[in-house]
Amino acid sequence: MKLMLLGTASGVGKTTLVALLCRCLSKKGLKVIPFKGSNLSLNSYVTASGEEIGMGQAFQAWAAGIEPTVGMNPILMKPSGKGVIQVILNGHPLADISPGCHPDTSLLLDEVCQAYDNAHYNSDIVICEGSGSPVELNLMGRDVANMLLVKKKKIPAVIVGDIERGGVFAAIYGTWRLVPEEDRHFLKGFIINRFRGDPSILKSGIDTIERLTGMIYMGTVPYANLKFPEEDSMSMGNGRLEGKDMISAFIANLDELNEGIELGIDYEIFKKIASEDP
Amino acid sequence: MKCITNKVREELSKGNIGSDTSCPYHPSHYRGQNCSFCYCPFYPCNDDDFGVLKITKKGDRKVWDCSLCHFIHRNDVVEYIFKRVEELGIVEPEDPQFSGIFKEAKERFFKKGKAIMVLGATSDAGKSIIVTAICRMLNNMGYSVTPFKSQNMSLNSRATRTGEEISMIQDLQCKAAGIKSPSYHVNPILLKPKGDCISQVIAEGVPYGDYDVKGYYSDFVPNKGTDIVKRNVDFLKNRYDFVVMEGAGSPAEINIYEMDIANMRAAEMADANCILVINMEWGGSFAYALGTIELLKEKDRKRVKGIIFNNLYGKIGGLREGTNKIEKMLGIPVLGIVPHLDIKLPKEDSECFRDVDSVGNGKKVISVIKLPRIANFTDVDPLLLEDVTIRYVKRPEELQGSDAIIIPGTKNTLSDLNWMKVAGLDKAVMSYKGKIPIMGICGGYQIMGRKLLDPNGIEDADFPNSDGLGLLDIVSIWSEYKKRTIQQHGKFILTGENVTGYELHMGNSTVNEKPLFRIESFAAGDFDEGAIRQDEMLFGTYLHGIFEKPAFRKYFMSLMSNEDDIKLTKCIDYEENIDLNIDKLVKGFEKAINMNLFKKLFIEDKK
Repeated sequence: MKLMLLGTASGVGKTTLVALLCRCLSKKGLKVIPFKGSNLSLNSYVTASGEEIGMGQAFQAWAAGIEPTVGMNPILMKPSGKGVIQVILNGHPLADISPGCHPDTSLLLDEVCQAYDNAHYNSDIVICEGSGSPVELNLMGRDVANMLLVKKKKIPAVIVGDIERGGVFAAIYGTWRLVPEEDRHFLKGFIINRFRGDPSILKSGIDTIERLTGMIYMGTVPYANLKFPEEDSMSMGNGRLEGKDMISAFIANLDELNEGIELGIDYEIFKKIASEDP
Repeated sequence: MKCITNKVREELSKGNIGSDTSCPYHPSHYRGQNCSFCYCPFYPCNDDDFGVLKITKKGDRKVWDCSLCHFIHRNDVVEYIFKRVEELGIVEPEDPQFSGIFKEAKERFFKKGKAIMVLGATSDAGKSIIVTAICRMLNNMGYSVTPFKSQNMSLNSRATRTGEEISMIQDLQCKAAGIKSPSYHVNPILLKPKGDCISQVIAEGVPYGDYDVKGYYSDFVPNKGTDIVKRNVDFLKNRYDFVVMEGAGSPAEINIYEMDIANMRAAEMADANCILVINMEWGGSFAYALGTIELLKEKDRKRVKGIIFNNLYGKIGGLREGTNKIEKMLGIPVLGIVPHLDIKLPKEDSECFRDVDSVGNGKKVISVIKLPRIANFTDVDPLLLEDVTIRYVKRPEELQGSDAIIIPGTKNTLSDLNWMKVAGLDKAVMSYKGKIPIMGICGGYQIMGRKLLDPNGIEDADFPNSDGLGLLDIVSIWSEYKKRTIQQHGKFILTGENVTGYELHMGNSTVNEKPLFRIESFAAGDFDEGAIRQDEMLFGTYLHGIFEKPAFRKYFMSLMSNEDDIKLTKCIDYEENIDLNIDKLVKGFEKAINMNLFKKLFIEDKK
């Protein structure tokens, strides 16, 4: 099985949701591997074999009950000031890129796909995390973290919207609309994240989005006070982890919150989407 | 009346004097008004479009109240009056021909102002700041302008001159528009969250009731809210050239679309042309733009005349490729991409509610207790003009290294006092007594007292009788469901310098301490306010905004300075600082926006 979580923006809670799903599905006995093709982050983790990956994927791996490996995040981009970005490929520095320059898209996409194939081969389900929004019109052509990977590997995708900022229906609908028509069949469903209050008030809005897009409503995830390391400049959670053993504190916190996601998301639909080729 | 006649005679002899900036009361209404007729030659016109017949406070007679009318301060009206006065050879104010001139002037110049509405794709899109910029920009062009936000959810509010409660941000926008005394019309519905998804609804400046989300939309909006919005936006359109409206959240919340009186329903009532603002900071801004506009109903979509991409960090680079595509897809022009501007203006959702532990990076650390129901937390913003770091404190150990402690206002004093006790912050704050300055504002002042009594459960039924921190000998009691909202000005007793502030509270206090301020009040007579124990550096007051004027801020800062190790030269008036920042904002905005297009779409008459 395979699934991609695409966000309507940065900081909508993709990293957290992937971690929660990893935890939840691995507890149900599945072998889960988290995956993020390309990650823009300054917070990195060094794997047991000495490769550098994004911190988010390391935590997602622990949530899935496995050790982080380089294949979970083949490309890591680290902003090093003045618009220069250091590209880490498969855990090792490849090059520094000056502002306005771009590495070869097809080369990066090949690397991402290879790592993905590997993860897919070794798991029951790969849960991919997109990066930022998949419809940045000026970047879409070289955005290997989102639609390029989805199309190449035929991964069913789900759009995650953040209701806390407001405008969640517009964000989900607008994201769907800006994906070129011929690729929209990859977009299978949508999730509303960070909701507070009584979700029944959303019903008519959800129905409209389902009707307009044909995507399936997969659930509403309540606002979760997940304490998470900072992924990038955006705030991921609502506090800092404390204590000696960060990982076990994180896992304990995840387990507390798991109930929230179990209540909000219909697993049957989820599995159905993840098992079918779009 | 005799006196008015004499004044008008004087005014007629002086001719058109334009704006009188030398007058100590200038501007009585708004920056740029014509002051030739300080006393109106048409008074009382008895025309419902300009005023109301009001019963006097004593209740013994009726008077014509047109205090919110600006008609006589319009340049075109004044010019016309003088032209006609000359043509008709009028010299006496009692000349009956004045009623004819009034009719002609009304016919020619009394028309409804235009409405411009700023919508956001999300909360925090930058609507308030763009409304602020547009208000100042139009006022600079010589127009009379007012902001308007039909419904605002905020815990930061202010008292108007006549004692109604409005949100802090509309008060700020009024400053930008050059309005002297904001009235409740600029924000007729204010929602103050009380926790558990319940909000206190302030309607036309006065507490109306508590509602949950469903009750608000099913009961308040259809029965009362819609009329309130209509009435108030009409009122403003009759008085200003431009009403610059602010939406709330996103206008495309399709689940509450027809009930949403904060966005497109308000735009419809005001017949406003709209601008959609999208915050670029989080990415996905093209999707937000397209999604928001396409989810609007067709009649509403037509109102959106322009799009602004706001708050861009970094370079524009290839972004035009995206904005061009959006323009093409929607057929709506992009007015500009506004970069992140380094502007210091108070924000609606202050850092305090985000995951920010501190602001500023000055030498002196002022710890503000982060009460769970903290309210009017913009009170501490003026301290950032000094060499100060403000630290928001939730735990006793975080107080370490503080140079001063402030206990701020709260929406629920009694339950927040209990929270402090559970967290151990009561004892922790008390342990600093006499070592560093400790100041309580409003709810924080009540918390610093000896006793807090709520026998009827008005503030919180769970705490009928609480011991305060006992730092000041005051006893606060909530005896009735009544809120005191009033602007105050007076003197800081220790130095005799001027201070201003405003009270917004339920409950009253009996104070057995030396007073901190002497309030000057025409209506109530002068009286003492607040409490001070100079030796122990303990202070308390009901006055919000007390750090805005330099007087008390300067004194408070001086208590933290041993041997002049911090400079106190920056003690400027916070209001002046706000004004400078508004001007800076307008410059940045005008630079980023296609101004010709903006004028064509939103200012010029198409007829």
